[in-house]
Amino acid sequence: MTVPGAWYLVLAAVLFGIGATGLLVRRNVLVMFMCIELMLNAVNLTFVTFARLLDDIGGQASVFFVLVVAAAEVVVGLAIIVAMFRRRAAATADEIHILKG
Amino acid sequence: MEQYLPIVLLLALVVGFSVASAIGSRLLAPKRRTGAKEGPYESGIVPRYSPAARFPVRFYLVAMIFIIFDIEVVFLYPWAVMYRQLWTFGLAEMAAFAIVVFIAFAYLVSNGALDWGPRQRTGGRPPADLARSTAATVRRVPRPEELIERAGPEPRPLEPDGAPGGAPPRQAQPA
Amino acid sequence: MIQSVLFAGVGHLAQSGSGCLGPNGTSITGLCTSDNSLHMPVAYRSILPMLVLFIGALVLLLVSALLSKRSRPGLYPVLSTAVGLAALVASVWEWYDVGNRGVSTIGGQIFYDRFSVFFGVVVSVTVVLASLVSDSYLRREGLDGVEAYALILLAGTGAVLMAEAAGLIMLFLGLEIMSIALYVMAAYHRRRTESGEAGFKYFILGSFSSAIFLYGVALTYGATGSTRFQDIAGYLARNTLVHDGVLLAGMALLIVGLGFKVAAVPFHFWTPDVYQGSPTPFTGYMAALAKAAGFAGLLRTLTGALSSQQANWRPVIWLIAVLTLLIGSVMAIAQRDLKRMMAYSSISQAGYVLVGLQAGSAAGTAGSLFYLFTYAFVIVGTFAVLGLIQGPGEARNDLGAIRGLARRRPGLAMAMLVFLLAQAGVPLTSGFLAKFYVIEASVQRGQYPLAIIAMLAAAIAAFFYLRIALLMYAGEGEAAGPAPALEPAGGGAEAAGEAAGEAFVADGALTAGLQPVPSLDGATATLTWEPPPEERIAIPPAVAATLAICVVFTIAAGVSSPIIDFARHATAMI
Repeated sequence: MTVPGAWYLVLAAVLFGIGATGLLVRRNVLVMFMCIELMLNAVNLTFVTFARLLDDIGGQASVFFVLVVAAAEVVVGLAIIVAMFRRRAAATADEIHILKG
Repeated sequence: MEQYLPIVLLLALVVGFSVASAIGSRLLAPKRRTGAKEGPYESGIVPRYSPAARFPVRFYLVAMIFIIFDIEVVFLYPWAVMYRQLWTFGLAEMAAFAIVVFIAFAYLVSNGALDWGPRQRTGGRPPADLARSTAATVRRVPRPEELIERAGPEPRPLEPDGAPGGAPPRQAQPA
Repeated sequence: MIQSVLFAGVGHLAQSGSGCLGPNGTSITGLCTSDNSLHMPVAYRSILPMLVLFIGALVLLLVSALLSKRSRPGLYPVLSTAVGLAALVASVWEWYDVGNRGVSTIGGQIFYDRFSVFFGVVVSVTVVLASLVSDSYLRREGLDGVEAYALILLAGTGAVLMAEAAGLIMLFLGLEIMSIALYVMAAYHRRRTESGEAGFKYFILGSFSSAIFLYGVALTYGATGSTRFQDIAGYLARNTLVHDGVLLAGMALLIVGLGFKVAAVPFHFWTPDVYQGSPTPFTGYMAALAKAAGFAGLLRTLTGALSSQQANWRPVIWLIAVLTLLIGSVMAIAQRDLKRMMAYSSISQAGYVLVGLQAGSAAGTAGSLFYLFTYAFVIVGTFAVLGLIQGPGEARNDLGAIRGLARRRPGLAMAMLVFLLAQAGVPLTSGFLAKFYVIEASVQRGQYPLAIIAMLAAAIAAFFYLRIALLMYAGEGEAAGPAPALEPAGGGAEAAGEAAGEAFVADGALTAGLQPVPSLDGATATLTWEPPPEERIAIPPAVAATLAICVVFTIAAGVSSPIIDFARHATAMI
């Protein structure tokens, strides 16, 4: 039995939505971080699915770039967080309140 | 198929009962939520933030470096697949790629990102003061009445047997 | 230590981005199936400015790795400026080279046309200005090191790649290379908590928008079968989509993602915080660069690849432009912090570029390009002045810090006045012509309401620009009461008017703006009264030179400008 391609797209959309919601709702910066990763990987799933549906390898190649970009983003984000919370007790976004916007 | 019917029924019963009891307890139970009750420990201390596992910063550093060098390899796979078709052109491009990685690596090394292990003390100082003596190293433990005098504006109540309650106050240690 | 890792990440990203131009453009077959030969010669001259910037960053890193720590503190800004100048020379050479050889692509992933080269010039100039300005700031704050300049160059690399991108994936790579460098730059000031918070907020919201943009890329790819602009345009020209929901969703997500980067209004929430918290010269660089590159991406995507879908995206851009213009201008009036005020000001400036984009015509694109080029000088200069007057540790960013600047530093005040007038759109400055071109393009397409709203927003914005100008010229420190403040205010206004040469915009704004100013002065004086900083502001030579360049350019581009001709040539995209 093969799963129709549209299901993968729906799954990716749901994952993307979970990631976006989590990013806006959760307060732990590391969890926010994982939510970004979830969003990027949902996009990867979309790319691969479309590549299969369209029978075009370009979508699969795009995933390489997204992977590397996601890794670089993780590293830099982690470094910013570590630099920022070095002198603080906990990593919650509620403590980020000096700049009001 | 027929013989599985009891199991299916049992499953339905189990699910139905658990859902029903969850809903029932939610509907029926009195709800008086307080911060102390909701906290992970009922010791009366309200947690200020979610407890997080703490790792040394150095761990993150290694993790970051690892992620980056790990993920670079991903670009070697397509090159390996097309290696014969690309030949010199691909070789030159991958050499350029490797040089760039190497420069980043040299930068990391020069900044001491890979200096693991304990800090090297290069000053030539002995590990401890050679002139130390019993008088210099052994701390004098204060007597309880001294604690009362030194403990500041609010003297701590003492147990009858003279043992101070809880940890000894910091002020009691000789400077 | 942390700084090094921050940087390593960026360096690595850039290398993977740049690496993809060479090896992956060819080795990953799907990305360049159009060329039958696998031994495709890569015309490196067509990515020369980007290569110069990127290799310059690598050389900086290598030099810092080989030299001992802190041995050559003054070397890096010089090197960075030299690299920027080299990239500028390369861009100018390319301008003529494109004219001779004609446009081309690298594997359908990189465009070599005048649009790319134009942005090569803009980015190189911004890199040079930022390198010159940053040096004294970084030394004052004790942050000098190689990383700042390497980050400046890498962010420039990403920006150029965005303008050169011939496909959505390359656009995404450029976007990320630029953004990740800018995240680190926002968090660069290690000892200021605000800077860390700014970096963190920029990172979270920036990554969020990048992910949204990427999802847009994926959906567009699914709808059209390619990520290359030429293929997308060709597909949409050949086929009429019956069920175009996926394409519309993809387009909307692309607009949202890029709208975040250029700080268009429904997606602008990060801007004031990030601009306030970031190190001041980096704020100027960020404002100039991210806007230029973001709009380059928008222009490439919307007017290039999706030009057949104008009926769909023009109303959306219309709405975003109106919101951006009005909310940016109105919110800026309420600000008490100079950097926040400039942040909202930059939001409203983005609105004008959106007006040019919304026109969807060559004239509109030319107006947008002209706007972005001239705005780079203005905004880098503005933040250079702010960086000087705020004092060590960015102690004073409130409006009071600029009070009486004309008495303490007349030259600095005059430079700031020029920048403010240019942002307000007073004639004889580049800002007037820039606004004129985009509004003209909008009128040509019959967008009269949008043009009127844009002019209305200019009038609102003129209020707070002139308020800063009046504070500079009027607010004598000793005049603590509201009554004495009134008299010099008039004098300052006259000076402002004279300096503008012609003052029909200024006149209208002054009659509107003069009324609230004395009461406001009084409020500032009574509520947050502090003695004005009497110490003489030292102006380092490099910053003075930069300011002179910016002022001269702003006035020259406002009087008679060959730049609009360049911009018109640059609109001929493939």
